[in-house]
Amino acid sequence: MSSVRQSRSSAAVLIIPFMVMFGLFFVAPIIYALVESLFSVKASGLGFGAPERIFVAADNYLAALSSSSFVGSLLRLVAFAAIEVPLMVVTAAGLALLIDSAHARFPKFFKIVAFAPYGVPGVIAAILWGFLYIPATSPVLQVLERFGLDLNPLSSGTVLFAIANIALWSFAGYNMFILLAALAAIPKELYEAARLDGSGELAIVWHVKLPLLRPSIVLVTVFTIIGTLQLFVEPLILRPLSTAIGSDFTPNLAAYNQTFGQGNPNLAAAMAVIVALLGFLFSFGFLQLVNRKGKSAW
Amino acid sequence: MVNTTLSRSRSRTRTRPRTPAPRPGLGARIVVNGVLGLTAVYFLLPLVWVLIASTKSPGELFGTFGLWFSDSPQALANIVAVFTQDDGLFGRWIANSLLYAGVGALGATVLSVACGYGLAKYVFRGREALFSLILGGVLVPATIVALPLYFLLNPLGVTGTVWSVLLPSMVSPFGVYLARIHASSSVADEVLEAARIDGANDLRIFGSIATRMMTPAIVTIFLFQFVSIWNNYLLPLVMLNSTSTFPVTLGLTLWNSQTQRDPAFYQLVITGSAVSALLLVILMVALQRFWRADLSAGASKG
Amino acid sequence: MSIPRARLRHTALIGLAAIGLSGALAACSADTEAPASDGPVEITFQSWVPNIDQAVDAFNDAHDDVNVTLETITAGPDGGYAKMLAAVQAGNAADVAQVGYSDLPDFVVADGLEDISSYVGDSEDLFTPWQWESGVFNEAVYAVPQASGPLVQFYRSDIFAEAGVAYPTTWEEYYEAAKAIRATGPDRYITAFAFNQAAWMIGLAQQGGATWFGTSGDAWDVAIDSPETVKVAEFWQKLIDEDLVKVEADFSSEWNADLQSGNVATWIVGSWGDAILRGTAPDTAGLWSAGLVPQWEAGGTESATWAGGSASVVLKGSDHPEEAAEFALWLNSDPGSVSILTSIGAGWPAISDVSVIPSLQDDPAVFEFYGGQNIWEVAAESDAAVGDAWKWPPLASTLFADLTDNVKAGIEGGTPLTDSFSKTQTDIVDAMTEKGISVN
Repeated sequence: MSSVRQSRSSAAVLIIPFMVMFGLFFVAPIIYALVESLFSVKASGLGFGAPERIFVAADNYLAALSSSSFVGSLLRLVAFAAIEVPLMVVTAAGLALLIDSAHARFPKFFKIVAFAPYGVPGVIAAILWGFLYIPATSPVLQVLERFGLDLNPLSSGTVLFAIANIALWSFAGYNMFILLAALAAIPKELYEAARLDGSGELAIVWHVKLPLLRPSIVLVTVFTIIGTLQLFVEPLILRPLSTAIGSDFTPNLAAYNQTFGQGNPNLAAAMAVIVALLGFLFSFGFLQLVNRKGKSAW
Repeated sequence: MVNTTLSRSRSRTRTRPRTPAPRPGLGARIVVNGVLGLTAVYFLLPLVWVLIASTKSPGELFGTFGLWFSDSPQALANIVAVFTQDDGLFGRWIANSLLYAGVGALGATVLSVACGYGLAKYVFRGREALFSLILGGVLVPATIVALPLYFLLNPLGVTGTVWSVLLPSMVSPFGVYLARIHASSSVADEVLEAARIDGANDLRIFGSIATRMMTPAIVTIFLFQFVSIWNNYLLPLVMLNSTSTFPVTLGLTLWNSQTQRDPAFYQLVITGSAVSALLLVILMVALQRFWRADLSAGASKG
Repeated sequence: MSIPRARLRHTALIGLAAIGLSGALAACSADTEAPASDGPVEITFQSWVPNIDQAVDAFNDAHDDVNVTLETITAGPDGGYAKMLAAVQAGNAADVAQVGYSDLPDFVVADGLEDISSYVGDSEDLFTPWQWESGVFNEAVYAVPQASGPLVQFYRSDIFAEAGVAYPTTWEEYYEAAKAIRATGPDRYITAFAFNQAAWMIGLAQQGGATWFGTSGDAWDVAIDSPETVKVAEFWQKLIDEDLVKVEADFSSEWNADLQSGNVATWIVGSWGDAILRGTAPDTAGLWSAGLVPQWEAGGTESATWAGGSASVVLKGSDHPEEAAEFALWLNSDPGSVSILTSIGAGWPAISDVSVIPSLQDDPAVFEFYGGQNIWEVAAESDAAVGDAWKWPPLASTLFADLTDNVKAGIEGGTPLTDSFSKTQTDIVDAMTEKGISVN
């Protein structure tokens, strides 16, 4: 009996501190956003008088969803995810498999080199790649120009790829690390068994490594999806350099702009809620897709 | 769970004779290492570029070829310029980043490990619902938290202070997730039972026994949160106003926006970026062996 | 057992201490109350102008009764303004702040400024009328003007000589000069069309005689696509279509390189652009000159500004509005202070009598860059010619962002500039109505 009481109070001591912080700094703002998205601050006449706060129900949501620029930013986000997620997963998996293969010399060196960009903050990565994307300072573009290739990575046709590249550079190594750890956990007997059966290296990859890697690949995919929905920093930094990036290039940029540029935090709250819902949709949708095949990902 | 049992079983089967892997063909070796070599060039390119660029004088930045040094490198002068600009503001920024990331990650680790362990080892009604709520936090985009939080903290006078960045940084739902998974798999219930029978108090068991068994997870959560906070741009951008409270990321973008007023800032931005990037890359490389990524991988199997 | 209970208490104590500490820190960051007894009145001043600490130090040296602490913040348009307003709403704002003329209406609409008519009202004569008026709303004074950006045209006199053209005093002549300069080299252009710079485009429209915003009765008149604006837009469209101007973002590294190499021969900008020019292209010293912006009518004297200018305001809720207003007035009118402000690139002074500013009379360091020309005379002439018809509306930041987005999209999509201005007209009217503001 005393041990039950003891465990209840110790469970509380262990769990409650986090829950309090979580409640204050996570749940409270989300609830606040949900509430604020239902209000709006209106002026009157010339506007030179105290504004008033009125309940507008779904008006902010309607305004956001009927705004061509916001809807455009949502679609752009989907397009970006469609580029970035497969690119990231294939690159990270490819790198992991290459390093894990028997053929790789200096695997440790390659692992470290790939992981290094993860430590560079996204802002600095964007600044660096920003310099590499303009002909005035980019050795790559200058060399290509000498061969007659006049590239402008920041033009509207290629800007999403330019941004995807920055995200890839930053996180491919990190995701590769996760996959390498999963590969390392595969028991070597499985390889021996496959080789005894006469399988070559590629067959081993296809029939042994990849299936066992599946849960980790799912994890990497979900994290990448979540990451792409956050897209904010790269367009913010690259904006002065590109004609293609407006002030609401991504939904997060639009929400930030509404809060600190246009002084309309209520509309920004509605936008943030829409993005959050989109995020849930994508993540759960993807997990459902994966789970339907029978295996649990968690 | 699968992870740890497998690693134990591998060592037990050492005695069996192994079939050697076939000698890899030369063609395959060239292809594999060639591709890896190209990717190494890709990952190193911006870092090499910025290191070289930081040795050039402001005038030479735009005139000389990016991947080779200029005739008169002035790396030291540039570094001095970065650290003396605005009475040592850059040094202040680095100190701020260390404060936010270090203290924040420390707080996050303590809170997450305790909570994760608690969720793993204690059964109570609503436990899974609570865990799902916490997991939902991982999926939530930053804007819906940071922007409203600004308006919540503003009337309290907290915005603009270091606490407005520190306190939210101590909340790591992913840390709780990692901690729970690791506690489930590596802290054996039998050990806990034995200690309880011996009369040890629950919290003492957590503090001395469980945390020792969970050390890899603790280190990983700390490192992960450290990097997350260091890299976090939106939170300090929203919360902070006075330039003396900025972390290095915010500070460098401030200088980046001032290149319009004064082109000399280009070199400050580049050298500042080089210094920060170098600092972090060295840190990453040194710490990557502590990074138990298999926790995340193993987590997905558990 | 005693150990875990002690640890529990220990943890609880730490928790309480943390909460107490954060409370204390929160209190510290809020307004500090004036000491009841002697000791100077403490006020805070928020600005992002580099080196303005020199002027603040000068004030503190000259005053025993008031002490000003400078807080360097993110630039207003980059989020600093929003945080100022949020701080006002929370009751912990600074006392004095830097706000641009174009953003003053937003602050007044949000009730973020103290009415300082009683403190500075009789100093009106010190300042140029149009600059003073920027801070007056409903006949109350809300701001002390600091400096403006009257448009001047910096040009490479050597390139003009090479092309055999005289300085263009009308836009017709500008068009001819553009053709001549274009012919002097495959990469040479008379100027860059800065599609990203709303302030530049608005200034050109204002100089063309457009007045985009006005009030009649209790509602605003919005005329962004007025005939004058269309005239200006079509002119620049012609220059773009005939490849006579380089479509390029100003302040970009490419533009910097073009200034250095002479591929861009002129720059229409506020008078403070001088410091940027000298910093960006030091190797071209001696080759530049300054002139007035070309006129639409021969013999005309129409000028405009680059986004108005900058002012000092007292934020609402300040504990020491009188001292704050005193500082604001001193900062922007004391000759020594104005001299410092001009030297750090704050812009063309708002005070009407610039003969008391030493650095503007004889400035060899600056004049050398322009072959000895006294460019401040050009700036003075331009400033005097700025009309006072132009009004900034609330939601100025929306105006700037929207115009930039629309022009960018127009350039990208190949649609004419006039369409971008029409779209901006619709967007701004919608934005104002959304906010509840009445539009005619």
